[in-house]
Amino acid sequence: MQIKKDEVVWLLLFIAPAIILFFLFFIIPILFLFVTSFTNWDGISAEFVGLENYTKLFNKKSFVRAITNNLYWCLTAALITVPLALIIALLLAHRSRGWKVFRTVLFIPQVVSSAAIAMLWAAMFNAEYGLVNFLLDYIGFSDYKNHNWLGNIRTANAALIGFSLCYVGYFMVIMLAKTAGISEDYYDAANIDGASQFQKDLHITAPLIKSTFFLCIILAVIFNLRQFEYVYLMTAGGPANKTQVLVVYIWNELSVQRLGRGNAAGVIMIAIGAILLLSLRKLLKSETYN
Amino acid sequence: MIKSILKLFSVVFISTSLTVISTVASAEITINWPSIWVGKDSKSTVISELVDEFNSANSGSIKVVIEEQTDYDIYAQKLTAQISTGDLPDIFTVGADLLSILHRSGKAMDLAPHVASDSHWNNVYPEGALESNMMGGQLTNLPYELFVTPVTYNKKLLKAAGYDEFPATYDEFFKMCEAVTATGKVCTSQMTAKNAWTSMLWFSQALASAGGPNVYERGLDDPAFVKAFEVMEKMYQYTTSDAVGADAGVSGGHFLNERTAVFMNGPWFIARYTSDGIPGLHENIGVAPAPMLTGGEGAPGGYVGGKQSSLAAGKQSDPAKEEAVVKFLKWLTTPENVARLSYSSGAMFIVKADLPSDMDRLFIEMNEQKGNAPYVAKTFMNGMGSLPIVSEFPQALSALALGEVTPEGAVEMLKDAE
Repeated sequence: MQIKKDEVVWLLLFIAPAIILFFLFFIIPILFLFVTSFTNWDGISAEFVGLENYTKLFNKKSFVRAITNNLYWCLTAALITVPLALIIALLLAHRSRGWKVFRTVLFIPQVVSSAAIAMLWAAMFNAEYGLVNFLLDYIGFSDYKNHNWLGNIRTANAALIGFSLCYVGYFMVIMLAKTAGISEDYYDAANIDGASQFQKDLHITAPLIKSTFFLCIILAVIFNLRQFEYVYLMTAGGPANKTQVLVVYIWNELSVQRLGRGNAAGVIMIAIGAILLLSLRKLLKSETYN
Repeated sequence: MIKSILKLFSVVFISTSLTVISTVASAEITINWPSIWVGKDSKSTVISELVDEFNSANSGSIKVVIEEQTDYDIYAQKLTAQISTGDLPDIFTVGADLLSILHRSGKAMDLAPHVASDSHWNNVYPEGALESNMMGGQLTNLPYELFVTPVTYNKKLLKAAGYDEFPATYDEFFKMCEAVTATGKVCTSQMTAKNAWTSMLWFSQALASAGGPNVYERGLDDPAFVKAFEVMEKMYQYTTSDAVGADAGVSGGHFLNERTAVFMNGPWFIARYTSDGIPGLHENIGVAPAPMLTGGEGAPGGYVGGKQSSLAAGKQSDPAKEEAVVKFLKWLTTPENVARLSYSSGAMFIVKADLPSDMDRLFIEMNEQKGNAPYVAKTFMNGMGSLPIVSEFPQALSALALGEVTPEGAVEMLKDAE
């Protein structure tokens, strides 16, 4: 489509507010982040230190662990959370009796403060009085009577990620909404051919919501890359930095007045996010935009 | 004509009245105070009363508004960010670890001119207390709350384990822990979450015992740091199963519920033994200096403590508001008000105050032991003078407790944090 000359002025005028806001609240802060990442800024004074912040970060075990943990979170989201949401969405799409109740129950964590849920789960995982250990003991796993789920190196990450599965409802609702738009004609035709429910799910519903499924994967990866409140509230990156993630690491650097180094970690996080998203887009492009 | 004049008169009268009213209303100066002394804090009741009384006495001219800060650590992090951005509250409390940054920021009110021009401050503070707090000729904070951290122990639980007295050395202490464990109780309350406060206090005691009160001057290479971590490593063998990851609420809660026999915290916790402890707990509590390490450079009876919270204010551009802030700071530091705070909470203050003769038994014992102590060493948090090292301590401690690192490895983690 050819844009006329006199339309260009109006076009610029209409997009100017968005561009100005984007520039003010996104581009300038990122530029600021990038520039200060080469300084030893402590909030009061700053000197140029070159790549020192970056080299120090990559020499720190806890920072490298934060990156690997974030990738672990992203991988779990893509391989467990979203596929689990898909399975639940496919089951609820049958509109069996009580499906609305399940949909609501699974979505409830989204409308409750994540801080409140994190504190609740921290109490449930408590070694001395937690409900999790009580139930395990009750069903015969007495070895876990005083197991410190969040304070044990082997189980802390698993407990955190396991808890995050209660947010499966968000992706489930997105995919469930997509199933509502699928024409009944496909299912009628399948019924005439004698297809089972499983075959209809596998060959009609799943392929038709594939683009939404991939969108959910991208969203889940973004959410988990910026994972903060669950980790901060439940383990603060501990024990022994084993559950450290990037945003908590950045927060810690900022809280000890090492703003330059914290910003360098922020730049690395943006770079990782960009690489991950570009890779995912490339990988899923043909499917997503079909 | 008369009607028009009356209308005009009415309009002028109403608008003038409104202007006068709004001027009077806006003349009230509001002082915002993000306070940590709220909620379950033992000083919350009296602080609230003091603010109400001040507001009543200055009704229409000054109003102090408390912004409740219920989490000490989050408050400290928020304050750190505010110091960096220069957006300081009107009045606030600040820990000893942030005093240097606060001064460097140049955003805090300099109270030195007010101290010089008014006898109040010089009368209520002990000699040299304010001078020793000055940096570069400026006084950006008023030292306020002090603390010591003796051992508090449950005499009933120790008696059941066969101990009438609290052990004087760590060798005897760990033998006692074995005996306490045999009775089905847990010896010590420990924690690693947030700043690992109560465990950090134990570590500070062991450090002062191993390297003497000036151990921090020699830095992390001093062998005393390894020895102190060795003590902590053993300490975690005699604690609750939720100690790694536990916060101060959990750690203190176990002692309040008689699940653990030994606990360490400041005098502000005294009021909670009665308000939150199981019935009769307060009567069963004993106070003692921390045990000593055999062959250490510390001295028996040595205490750990120091400055807890100092009062400070943000720089004001309006002289009237600055005066109002100073007036409130004076109110908080009158000997009568400090005595009320101390009496109700058990907390200790640097301001000279005539404390009532019926102060809490535990407060009196702590005060006496502090008076007899050969030294009051700094805590690790205040003594290290490094926020990154202090911030890494909980991670190093949890790694040690879980057997991920040796005591030497824990010290390396602290060095690496810098």
